[in-house]
Order: sequence, then C-alpha cells, then structure tokens
Amino acid sequence: MKIMNCPLNGPRNISEFIHGGELKPMPNPTTCSDREWADYVFYSDNTAGVITEWWMHVASSYWFLAERHTVTDEILRTFDPQEIFQERIEFAVEEKRS
Amino acid sequence: MNRHVSPENIQTMPTRLPAPMGSLINRQQPITFQFEGTNYHGVEGDTLASALIANGRYLLSRSFKYHRPRGPLTMAGQDANTLVQLPDEPNVLADTHPLSQGLAVTGQNYSGSLDHDSDMKLGKFSKFMPVGFYYRSFYKPKGAWKFWESLIRKKAGLGRYDLNATGSYHDKAYLFADVVVVGSGPAGLKAALTAAEGGAKVLLVEQQSQLGGALTYARFDDAGVRAGQVREALIPAVEAHVNIHVLCKATCNGWFTDNFLPVIQGTRMYKVRAQECIVAAGAFDQPAIFRNNDLPGVMLASAAQRLIRHYAVRPGKRAVVLTGNDDGYLAALDLHEQGIEVAALVDMRAGPVDTRLTQTINQHGIPLHVEHTVFEALHDKTLHHVTGVDVRRITRRGEVADDSLTLECDLLCMAAGYMPMYQLLCQAGGKLTYNDDVAEFSLSNLPKHLYVAGSVNGLHDLDQVLQDGVIAGTQALHSLDLPATEAAPLVGAPKQVNFPWPIFAHPKGKEFVDFDEDLQIRDIINATRHGYRDVQLVKRFSTVGMGPSQGRHSALPTARLVADATGRTVSETGVTTARPPFTAETLSHLAGRSFDPFRVTPLHQRHLQLGAKMMPAGDWQRPAFYPSATSGHLDRDRCMQEEAIHVREKVGLIDVSTLGGIEVRGPDAAEFVNRIYTFGFLKQPVGRTRYAAMANEQGVVVDDGVSCRLGENHFYVTATTSGLARVYQSMLQWNAQWRLDVDIANVTSAYAAVNVAGPLSRKVLEKVCTEVDLSPEAFPYLELREGKAGEAPARLLRVGFVGELGYELHVPSRYGEYLWDLLMKAGEEFGIRPFGVEAQRLLRLEKGHVIIGQDTDGMSHPSEIGMSWAVNRKKPFFVGRRAVDILDEQPAKRRLVGFRLPATSAKPLEGHLVLEGSDITGNVTSCEYSPSQDAIIGLAYAGADKATPGSHITIRVEGGDEVNAEVVKLPFYDANNSRQEM
Amino acid sequence: MATLEDTLTTKRTPLYHLHQANQPNATGWQHLGGYAIKAGQDETQVEPTTVAPACGLTDLSALARVGLRGKKAATILSEKHYQLPAAPNQALRQEDGSLVAKLSASEYLLLGSFADDGERISRDELAWQAAERAHRLPDAYLLPRQDTHAWLALTGSHASDVMAKLCGVDLSPKAFAPGHVAQTSVARANAIIINASQADLSCLYLLVDSASACYFWPILLDAMQEFEGKELNIMALRHHHPA
Repeated sequence: MKIMNCPLNGPRNISEFIHGGELKPMPNPTTCSDREWADYVFYSDNTAGVITEWWMHVASSYWFLAERHTVTDEILRTFDPQEIFQERIEFAVEEKRS
Repeated sequence: MNRHVSPENIQTMPTRLPAPMGSLINRQQPITFQFEGTNYHGVEGDTLASALIANGRYLLSRSFKYHRPRGPLTMAGQDANTLVQLPDEPNVLADTHPLSQGLAVTGQNYSGSLDHDSDMKLGKFSKFMPVGFYYRSFYKPKGAWKFWESLIRKKAGLGRYDLNATGSYHDKAYLFADVVVVGSGPAGLKAALTAAEGGAKVLLVEQQSQLGGALTYARFDDAGVRAGQVREALIPAVEAHVNIHVLCKATCNGWFTDNFLPVIQGTRMYKVRAQECIVAAGAFDQPAIFRNNDLPGVMLASAAQRLIRHYAVRPGKRAVVLTGNDDGYLAALDLHEQGIEVAALVDMRAGPVDTRLTQTINQHGIPLHVEHTVFEALHDKTLHHVTGVDVRRITRRGEVADDSLTLECDLLCMAAGYMPMYQLLCQAGGKLTYNDDVAEFSLSNLPKHLYVAGSVNGLHDLDQVLQDGVIAGTQALHSLDLPATEAAPLVGAPKQVNFPWPIFAHPKGKEFVDFDEDLQIRDIINATRHGYRDVQLVKRFSTVGMGPSQGRHSALPTARLVADATGRTVSETGVTTARPPFTAETLSHLAGRSFDPFRVTPLHQRHLQLGAKMMPAGDWQRPAFYPSATSGHLDRDRCMQEEAIHVREKVGLIDVSTLGGIEVRGPDAAEFVNRIYTFGFLKQPVGRTRYAAMANEQGVVVDDGVSCRLGENHFYVTATTSGLARVYQSMLQWNAQWRLDVDIANVTSAYAAVNVAGPLSRKVLEKVCTEVDLSPEAFPYLELREGKAGEAPARLLRVGFVGELGYELHVPSRYGEYLWDLLMKAGEEFGIRPFGVEAQRLLRLEKGHVIIGQDTDGMSHPSEIGMSWAVNRKKPFFVGRRAVDILDEQPAKRRLVGFRLPATSAKPLEGHLVLEGSDITGNVTSCEYSPSQDAIIGLAYAGADKATPGSHITIRVEGGDEVNAEVVKLPFYDANNSRQEM
Repeated sequence: MATLEDTLTTKRTPLYHLHQANQPNATGWQHLGGYAIKAGQDETQVEPTTVAPACGLTDLSALARVGLRGKKAATILSEKHYQLPAAPNQALRQEDGSLVAKLSASEYLLLGSFADDGERISRDELAWQAAERAHRLPDAYLLPRQDTHAWLALTGSHASDVMAKLCGVDLSPKAFAPGHVAQTSVARANAIIINASQADLSCLYLLVDSASACYFWPILLDAMQEFEGKELNIMALRHHHPA
C-alpha cells in the first residue's frame, strides 16, 4: 500500500485518506458562460504530468493539497491549503449575465 | 560402495542416513500416517513427501492433463507434482506439508487408484489434444461447449473440498521494520547482519523452518565443508542479534508499493511495512527438457540434496546426474558420499569450470560423460518410476547423435541452471534482461529502497554471494542515514551456472516444459506457429506457467523456445508478468479477522429490549419496526401500519440519533451556511429552524437537513444519516478555500435525538419539559428552544417530517437513555409507543416529503423534485447555484410526481419503471399502502408533461403487468398542513 | 459495596450495557463523575500487584474530557494554567494528572485525571459552556468530547503488539514514545491514540467514536487474546496511575 505524507499527521497508509479531486480554479459563476461552467464541472484535462489534488486525512478531518505525477504516481509534495488560499474569498453580488 | 541394494520392506520403519544428515528431523519421534490406505512410518520434522520417499514411495500424484505418474521434483514446494488430498483440504503440497500423527492422505485427480489410473490412457491421445485444444475443439457447433463442459470439468478437477468445513481463526498484524530481508541464504544472512550491526531494526523472513537457505542442503566445495563453516559463522550471530527479528516458515507473498509486504506465517498474515527491502530470495534450480523428464525418480539435484541433508532420506539407490554446471558435480559427490551409487555424471558442457572437479569425480570412480545429455528417461510399462536413461552425445545445440548408451538407474538428478526468484522484484517494477554471456536472466530498474543480493542477483560463487549481502545491507543503511562502512566491491566475474540450451526434442515427444500443465516442447512451438508470437499470448493460448508453480521451471525454457521459434532474442521475448501472490494463499488469510465497523445510538439497548427488528442505515443500526402491539408478531407491513396509525391518532416516539449534527460557529457562521445550502440563511432568526437543501457543483441535490439558529453566530445543522460524512467533508473542503471565520464541528455522536410525534405529543412534553412554554403561541411550528428535558439539557425543534404535531429533542448522548425512559413514562397515560424507520418513511410519504438518496438520484436538481421553493435566487452564491440556473433554463425532462392507486391494485416496488408507450420515462422511488388514504401511494419520476395532477402514468410492476396510476397533488395527507402546525 | 440499582444515574457511558451484560450480578458498582461504573467483584480484588496483567483493557469513559479549538484556544487554556504541548500530535501530562493533547494547530483535547475524578476538567468545561452562552468565549469553540468519544486504555507491555493487529501506524515504544499522539484508523474506524505511559505502566489511550465503542471493545479483547489480555476495571487501573 502506498504511503502519503500528511502535512499534519506525517506518513500514513493511503487508505487513511480520501481524494477530493484536482485543484482547479472556479470560473466566476456569475459571469462565466454556460460552457465554461460545464467545462469546470464535468471535464478534466487528464494531464500526464504533475497535478495538484485535494486530499483529506479522514481520522483528523484535515484537508491538504498534494502534487502528484500522474504517470509515475509519485507524490512529490504535500502542503497546507493555506499556502494557496490565504485570503477570504468573497462572492460579488450578482451581476447581469449577457 | 555397496552395489547390491537389498529389497526393503516398506511397511517397517525405514532406515535413514546417519547424522548430521537430517537437519529438520527428530529421529526419536516416530509418526505413523496413511497414504492411499497404506500405513507408513515417518518421523517428526518430515514432510509428507520426505516420509513417503523414505518408504520408497515416489508416485504422489497424477498429472493434470495426461494423468501421468508424478513424484517430487523440487522438494521445496515449487512444483505441482506433490499435490495431495487431506481429509479437509485439497491441493496440499506434500513436499512442504508437515507430517502429523495419524494423518490420512490420498492422491487426487485419478480414476480408480493413484497407482492404476484409468484416465492415463488420455496420454495416448495426446496427439489429438494439441495445444489450445479446449479453445479450438469444443466451440463448434454453437452450443457444443455446454455438452463438453461438464465432462471436461469432471476430468480436469483437482481434489475435493470439504463442504462441511468450519472456519478457523486467522488474523493479520502489521510488522514494522527498518529493513526487511526476504530469504535467509548466505546473502540474506549477511545482509541482515550488516544492516543490524549498523543499527537498523531488521526483519528476516525465511520460508523454511531453519535459517541458511542453500547452506542447509547444497554443497559449495569438493571437500563439502564450506557450507557448515558459513552456517556456523552467520546463523548463531543472526539469531542472537537484538536488532534482528527472525520469521521462519514465513512466506513473503508479494511486493506492494512502498515496501508493503504480505508475509504469511501459520494462520497469520503479517502486513510488513519496511523502509528498506532486500530481496535475497535465491534462485530456482532448473530442470533439463528431454523425453520423460517427468517420471517419478527424476528430480532436481537440489531436491535430492534436500532429501539427504534435511531429512536424511536416500533419494535413490543408483543415480545418474545430468548437469550443465559445476553444481551437478558437487551433487554427485553428495550422492556418492551417502552411499548412493552414481552410475554416471552426464555433463552437457565440455567439462567443469573448476577443472579440479574432474579429478575429484574420477578419484571417486564416478563415470563422467562430457558433451553428453540424457536424451530420454526410461521406464517400465507402468511409468511408475524411472528405470534408466538413454545417454547421447550432443552434436549441435539441442541435437544428439544416434549412438546411445543405456544406463540403469532409479534416480535421475538434473542441474541445468538457475532462474532468479524474480517474482517479488518484477512485481515492484523490476525488468528482466537475458544476459547471453551467462544464459541467465538478470534484474534491473528496481524502485528506490529495494535491493537484491545473492543468486537472485545472478551471483553463484559463495564469496561473491556473501559480499553481495554486505553490499545490499550497506545500501540500506545509507538510505536510512545510519552509519556504515563502505562495502568492498565484488571481486571477479560472475560464475556461469546456466547451460544455454538444455532442451532436447525427441521424435516421440513427452519432453515436458511445464509439468503442471503437461506441456511439451511442440506445444510451445505450435503456439508460436498459430501466430501467438508474444510470450503473454503464448501463455494464454497454451496455459504455460498458469499452473500452481507459476512458471518457476517453465518460464526460462518457454522464453528460450519462443525466442528461437520467432527469431528473436530471449531478452526481447521476456517472461510473462509475475503478479502476487507468489504462492497459493487461502481466502482465510486474505480475510483475517474481518473488520466491519458499525455504530449504535445511545438508545440501542432500549430497542433491543423492546424486541425491535433492527436494520442497517449506513453504518448505523436502526429499529425498522417493533413487535405488533396487538399480536406481538414482527411482521413488517403490519407493524409499520400499526405504528403509523398510532402516530396519526395518538403519539409515537422515534430514535433519530443517527441524524448528522454539525455545529457551525463563529462570526461567519451565517455566511457559511448561506453558501453551503440553497436556501437563504443570513436572515434566519435566532430561535428558528429552516429547511436546508444542499446541492453539489453540478446542481444535483445531494443532502438535506434542518438549520437551527441557536445564536447570531451559532448554527446547528442536521444532515441525513448516510450523507453526514460527505456533507461534513465537503463543508471543510469548501472552507479550506473560502477561509471564512467559522468553526465546523461534527457532533453527531454527541447527541441522542428523538422525535415525539402525534396529536398528543405536546401533552407528553409538558410533563417532561416543565420549564419550556410549549403552547402553540409561545412555541409555534418551526421554532426552536433550548431548555431542559427532566434534568437533561435539550434542544427542542418543532419540525414535522411525519406531518403531525411533533418535537425533536436533542440531548447529550449520555442522557439518551434517560430521556427515552422519561418520555416513555410520561407518555404512558397517553398511550405513547415507539415507532421505527419503516413507519416514519410511510408517514413522510403521506406528506410527500422527499428522502434524498431514495427519491433522488445523481441527476436530480431542485426543480425536478419540486424544491424550487428551497432555492434562494437573491443571494450571490451557493454551491451549485450556476448549475441550477443553467438546468432551470433548459426544458424539463422529468419530474418527481405523487401517484395514487386503488388499495386493491398490484403494488409497484421501488425501481419499477414508468413507461410512455415503449419508452422509459422514469421510475418509482417510494411506494406504500397508506392507511390514512386507504390507497397505494408513491413517488415516481415521470415525463415532465405528466406532472399535472389528474394525468395518468403507466407503471410496469412485478411480473411485467402494467398499472395505470393517477398523478395527484402532494401531499397526500393533510394538504393544508394544519396537523403539524397545531 | 453498592449494587447497580443503588447507583442508577441519569447519565450513561457508551459501554454501560456491555459491562452490565458481562457482569450481571456484580456488586461492585460505584459512581465516578456522575456515572455508574463497574468497580470490581469486590474490594479485595483490587490488589495493585495482581491487577495489572501484561495486557489489560479499561473503559475510562466516565472520566471527564473536553475539546477546545480556535484562535484563542491556547490563550484560554494557558489562563487556566494548562501546560500545552509544543506541536500537533503531542500530549502533555499535567501536574494534577490530567492530560492535554494537541490535535492540530489550534485544537486541544483535555483528559481528566484520576486524582480528582476528572473534577478540574468538568469544572472548566462548565465555566466555558457558560461563557460560550454569554458570548464571552470568542474565537474558541468547545467540542463535546465526553459525548462524541469513548475513552479506552490499553495497558501493559503488549499494548503496541495488540494495536499492530488493528492499526497501520507503528505504535511500538521506540517509534511512538510517551506523549505521542496518532489520529488514525483502528480496525477500519477512526481513533485518536495517545501514548499515556508513565512510571512503569505502558498505556495507550484510545478515543473512539462513542457510537462505535460497542464495536471496538470486543475487537480489542479479541486482539488481546494471544497475550492473555483481560478487562480491567477503572479502580484497578487507578492504582497504577500515580497522579
């Protein structure tokens, strides 16, 4: 069984984690086109290379991010999401969509 | 030398070779056992096979296809020739199964008796059963296979299962080590010692019951003293080392990512996790391929040596040794030394690498034939044992001269070369490359933290093997950042031990490449002629390597034959993929103690005491219904109806502790809840509850619950029993991005919750919650209060899932049972009765309430299920908002509708289809007989055009009948909701 | 000594019925922290020298415990004179015998002491609850660990061997020293494991979902069998906890 290094709990069996999907930016839901939203929700680039993914350590309910190479399945780095998400995210009051 | 062997009475205790031969046996402990109805004597430490051979019994099994007599080939559990039947277990390897007192063993896979198998005539038809026979012969005409299958299965079966077998205790345990060493031969011992000396915690795994590997049975020098010296030097040191944990009789059955190794020992499977892994598993001795190389009495040279050194058993009386390396010479010396006449040493080469060996052999008077081979093993008409050999001069690769020399013998030892024990390493991603110089496979491309040492690494000189162990141990220490002195590099070139082409086709065939599957040289060649050029395809077509020994002896000759037949190199051809497990493992090992977590509510004991029928809900146990109050029977429909009527008429009590509970606290609590759920929550008043539906980013409704605002900055939200984990995880994931100032805590297990429902519920509660004003004016529908139930602090919610006046009470779990008892006692005078999940589902169906997950699927968006009212379109964002908007702008395809059928109609079941002509437009999601409506009512998806009340939908019910149901307005019961709001 | 009826309380620990079923005629019931607990067959059995086998399992769920989380959690705890572990997944024994475990950057778990029957933690929790209701506990959030989690103690030199049959984390004393905390999976369910060994008593605390306590208890006993593990009652263990 693969081992993943949790930034909070250290190296653990991969069975202690759940996968939370690839990290991808949400398009502005009030201004993006239907196609852009569908692309965000339903499509994956299926990159052959390093991608960033959400993982959660179940026993501690701790979400973090992992950089993983999809070809070798090597986990290169795991880190707290605060590294990327530092600011409080606001959603603007709805604007008229064209 | 005694050339006159007197016949022995096999029924008496057979004699054994003198000590120190027999390192595994205890001669003082005789054991009596039975094979095929005959009684035999063995001793403690024997395997079934060693004891039988000691008694002169070689024929242990019949081959899979042709039912040819077979005897031990490897004496190491590496072949299928020793599969026997125990009373309670088939397919047991006789050469590894320990002998026990009174054990009654039989052969398997024969008609008649093991000695006289009438199916053996199949061998005569082998010309008509060519390779791929099954695939090619029985499939025409269409349907023919059905006829042939049962006949073939009967003929092909191996062994009998004990259908009355009972389970036995098996378990699993983790075992942690800095370094795991697989194999305790010279390389493994040295590697383990090196790593342990450097301070690493070492686990040494050995398949046999003693340490030493080849040191325990093989001969490394002409004087025969080297093995003992090395054993003396290493084994006591290993056994005494505090850093080394030794596991004997343990098989490492696979390699998984990051050195995760299943190691089976007895009834336990260890899940070994090691930082570093050294595979020193050794190499498989290889047979030569010639006619009748499968006869009992034909065995690997190492098998004969194991019989001698491990069991003090004389493998035969007159031996011929066929070799392609110097080890065959050493084996011949072993036989000679133990009083077995060596009729000839037949060397396929021009002579030994170590020329002194020729001299030694000559000194002992062993006739030596170089550049010769055994072309055929001879037998009498029974084929029960080898009786001699036809020895011929090799003229060209794989070809022999016409002149033949016939020698009598009852033992033929083969030493054609070695195949590295590549399985674990290939599972780890290692690549096998064939080195033409030494005619041997070698391994490369290993992942980090995995090392090889010894003969598996292509080294066969004992000094090199020992040094290779030091090197591997040192590499592991370096990787662990432990101090290590630099290991000296290997000295000298690798010793060649493989004869490049020990394959001699015979015009009459029966030169077995794969003993398990009865495959001959021509079967492999023919497979390539059928166009199966890839070794993987050859395997699937011919079944080579598919038997119990999994290619341990057939992989190398198959690779050579396929390469030769297809004009490629052996490297290009390669061998088939090695997958775990390495050896057969039982399902009980895989299962171990099965862990199936379950959860019970604080009220569980009360449900059991009341005789409730429990049902699983997610990982929880919930009461489905209680015994009927009128009959005491546990009949689902009847109990459910009675309980439902009781709630409608009087008052009922249901355990809803399994509802998920999440505390959302902090300055951004309202903002957070507002983003997560579809409704508006910013302005939800303190002291009020509000329905909360959750969508995912695809706009699909995935969960629902009730949002309770306990304070300006404090929400308590409920989630469905099975949805809670997902809801909680998704909340945390969202806030890992949003960074709102809020704390999200799963407090599900912290609360016991009950719903008191029915027109008399207020009266019951008035006796229990004396400090709370329960009047409709002071505590109206959808309000929420914090107060006390008896002594217990409680959250009181006026919500109405079942559509009657009702209260949900949430108290700390510790008070759960107290609350239940209090309510049951207080409600006694009002006839309070518990009701279960089934009644609750019926009651809510009457109210048209949707259960997420039952009445919704992976496509259901809010407007499809009539929940547009629960979507706030004024707020800037909620999860799924954009998708909900997009979906709403598209023409509706289906709707969830309520339908009604007369009570006498056939009752649709959940999942039954809704049809429009021949098209499927939806399905039934809930359906039940409703006592309050005296009708069958249900929810179903139907075409959007059928959503108007008064329309009719066609439902195909059990048996294919169709019923026509009327679409009706929801709810079915109490349309103006007066009962829940009273 | 008191019978069960004498000690009927409004509060129940998650394993109350399981203990009762295992010992239907026990006379040794008494109160601890307002819970009825099994104290032993009779007092004479509570012999410190004989009650600690190489492998014992004790239900400590009657002792107080609470969680506190948030930006101000550390400050609030320090004000109450709790010594805090330096890093997440560490635990620190307090002078009075209670234990503080740090579970994340801002989350703490407080476990009550035998010495005062968990009185200090109970008292502090009540005070914090009152403060929370009065909005005087900003940036700190109480976690009801007493109700969400059962608290078990696995004692004796074989504790880590028992756990190796249930858990994929190396809990041997060398890898998991006293004061270490592991939040992990035990027998496929979540658990917090704390090495609470002190003096000569090896001890692993297990905090498991209170709703799963009935699942864990027999599984632990099963895993303990080969080490001749025994159920220990809380009073017996108390003798071994110098506090």
